[in-house]
Amino acid sequence: MPSAIEVRGLSKRFGAVRAVDDLSFEVAQGRVTGFLGPNGSGKTTTLRMLLGLVSITEGVATIGGKRYVDLEHPIRHVGAALEATSFHPTRRAEDHLKSVALAGGVPLSRVDETLEVVGLTDVARRRVGKFSLGMRQRLQLATALLGDPEILILDEPANGLDPQGIQWLRSFIRNQATLGHAVLVSSHLLAEVEETVDDVVIISQGRLVLQTTLADLASQTGSGTGMRIRTPELTRLAEVLNAVPVGWRQTGPDTMVIDGASPEWFGHFAAQHQIILYELIQEKGSLEDVFLQLTTGFDAPHPVGPTPGGAA
Amino acid sequence: MIAVLRSEWLKLRTTTIPWLLSAIALVITGLLILLYFVNKGSNGGPHDHSTFGPPTPDIPHTTQQLRNLLGTSVGIYVFALLLGVLIITVEFRHKTVTTSFLTTPHRTRFVGGKILIAVITGAVLGVIVLAGTLLIGGITLSAKGGSFSSLVHQLGAVAPGLILVYALMAVLGVGVGSLLTNQVAAIIVCLGWFLILENIIGGIWNGTVKWLPSGAAAAASNVSSGRNDIGLFNWWQGSVLILVYGLVFAALGSILLARRDIT
Repeated sequence: MPSAIEVRGLSKRFGAVRAVDDLSFEVAQGRVTGFLGPNGSGKTTTLRMLLGLVSITEGVATIGGKRYVDLEHPIRHVGAALEATSFHPTRRAEDHLKSVALAGGVPLSRVDETLEVVGLTDVARRRVGKFSLGMRQRLQLATALLGDPEILILDEPANGLDPQGIQWLRSFIRNQATLGHAVLVSSHLLAEVEETVDDVVIISQGRLVLQTTLADLASQTGSGTGMRIRTPELTRLAEVLNAVPVGWRQTGPDTMVIDGASPEWFGHFAAQHQIILYELIQEKGSLEDVFLQLTTGFDAPHPVGPTPGGAA
Repeated sequence: MIAVLRSEWLKLRTTTIPWLLSAIALVITGLLILLYFVNKGSNGGPHDHSTFGPPTPDIPHTTQQLRNLLGTSVGIYVFALLLGVLIITVEFRHKTVTTSFLTTPHRTRFVGGKILIAVITGAVLGVIVLAGTLLIGGITLSAKGGSFSSLVHQLGAVAPGLILVYALMAVLGVGVGSLLTNQVAAIIVCLGWFLILENIIGGIWNGTVKWLPSGAAAAASNVSSGRNDIGLFNWWQGSVLILVYGLVFAALGSILLARRDIT
């Protein structure tokens, strides 16, 4: 089975800026893929290249093996809800969807159906200018769903949604996967999509950091995360630690956090140097920590804390 | 093609553009007709007569005069031009172009859809101003003692040309708008051209008049009284000229749009 979405060697230059740099990843059918990275890391540009809105400097981006522009009636195959898309304020929600359906070769019966799916039936005749941000997001999703596509591309869909809306969005996305659809959902917060995604594609500064399954990413939590140490011999510990390739930072008058080492190793190390310990607590990192470490430029899978040995 | 047209019309009619433009065009047409009669009146006699009571109006009665009256709105072809400009630039102003390009990724096809709706709504705008002219002009003419039926008789000579001019000017507007997608800038350019530049250029080089949109519009619609003096094209040459302008702009605009990043 071919990938739903394939991106190979994709680059985009805006003048001197490389917004996306030699990016490659795949989105499998029937799975939800989180497209993650900090703001400004090139997520939106990548999605817009994939959808033919932004020209590609180098590389290829295909959907079901074809470029977006080569798809006949693309909205029947790919539904996209992008940020910064807007509606005409005097147009009614229903009319917006009708105009898209007519141009996209989609039966008009889908208009009422999608309005119902996103829960906007009651405001179908209201002008979009009067819509809240959350309602616009829902209308955006309705637009994406209109052609009953097998692939959904959602750019930061949770923005502007209230907690109930986010809950609704999660079950909506999971439901899409149950239907066998591929979903690519971007976010700058892993926590936002943590409960929803099967796979993750993590990018930073326009480059791929990691493509893996969420389960695999989860197994990395704790592996390189901190140990909290309390000791009366902080200065001496710091001295001996500086001789080994382990990151540490002082967090209090008698406490420090050590990164990139196991408690077993450190227990022996402390005994060897005859350092008295009052506390040794391994901090179980969250997925978000892993994500933050991955996207701030440190090498996976052995992230170390910032400024090793440098903290005073 | 019918579906594209229905989609474009749905998009257009759910904005204020067609309604506001028609209304303004009608009001200005009415004002121009009234002005026409006032001018005819004051030109009829010596200067001081016009200040004392109603002067004897020189009521339009010759074929050309009646045609000029009916074709009053040819002179404000700018509304058809603006219609075309707004049809396309509104998508950029309200960022609905993202959805449109997702639905129709071929940008030339997108511009084609706009041209299609512009031709039809431009023609309808022509019909509307013509109907307004017939009503306001007819009433005023009758009130001044002229013949309403002789005005109606000239409809066959003026209507096809005027409607054609409006349809083609709307296409030109789409062309300009596809090239200059910033709505405010496009409107300013069109108004600046229509109100100032065209008059200056035509005024300095008389020979260029027939090549200018207003000259081509006058030629296409059989109206201008002075057409022989300034050597306008005949009606079909004038029509083709406007169409060529429109298509050249639309082609350039399509090429530019195809390279444009929608962010």
